[in-house]
Amino acid sequence: MIGLYAIARGAPDGLPGAAGEPLRVLSHLGLELVYGEPSPPLSEEALRAHEAAVRRIADGSQACLPARFGSCARGEADLRERIGRRAPELLDALELVRGREQMTLRVLGPQEPEPSAGGPGTRYLEGRRRAQALPELEPLRSALSGLIRAERVEPHGQPGLLASVYHLIDRGAAEGYRQRLEPALPGGLRVSVSGPWPAWSFVPELS
Amino acid sequence: MKGRRRTEAEALLERADASLLEIIDHVLNKGVMIQGEVILGVAGVDLVYLRLDALLCAADKLLGPRGGR
Repeated sequence: MIGLYAIARGAPDGLPGAAGEPLRVLSHLGLELVYGEPSPPLSEEALRAHEAAVRRIADGSQACLPARFGSCARGEADLRERIGRRAPELLDALELVRGREQMTLRVLGPQEPEPSAGGPGTRYLEGRRRAQALPELEPLRSALSGLIRAERVEPHGQPGLLASVYHLIDRGAAEGYRQRLEPALPGGLRVSVSGPWPAWSFVPELS
Repeated sequence: MKGRRRTEAEALLERADASLLEIIDHVLNKGVMIQGEVILGVAGVDLVYLRLDALLCAADKLLGPRGGR
């Protein structure tokens, strides 16, 4: 078994993997598949080591799509086949994240959802629509408008955490992002920010 | 064996602070996944995946003791 760490462009050979093993780069259909040892059993240390290894790849590459912890293949041929099926969408995603990195926002709303007319189904749909569009974040989007290259919104549909919002920004722009974020926070909402991260949330959806 | 794995995954989630939760969400919930070979190959990952959404909703964990307005 081999473990996939990232799909990249311009990735150097031999960076250390999570276990210190030298990572190898396999070129296939215009993609660089960066792989090493398969993921070990789940533990905090294993997750941190995988994240650190992916970060090294991202820092050393022009573009990097991180691979999820536990992504394994039976060997190079198996890896080529599994990734090859999705090559066109992966190439598009690599182009999107080139020279960029990710900021992650957790948007915490009021604990009690606003009362709404209609039955449970109507309220559910209303809640989902609000979480996806997040109109409350418009002031924040305006303040960050020159910095955000792409946005993904993930509604959680539970009281407390309204949604997670992922922003793709140019490398090196994280400090400016944080500075502009602070004064733009809308009233009634709390936002926790983390990053910069490799572009974890800008990989193609599972097909 | 299954019971032991479950305990390890639960312990990981229970002691996770904000920064570890962020790492868990990015590393286990996001990223390129090779269909069919992920999750099953790594003990306890399925449990973490299922419970993570609920955990991320714990505002105090996300913001930490000094977080908030």
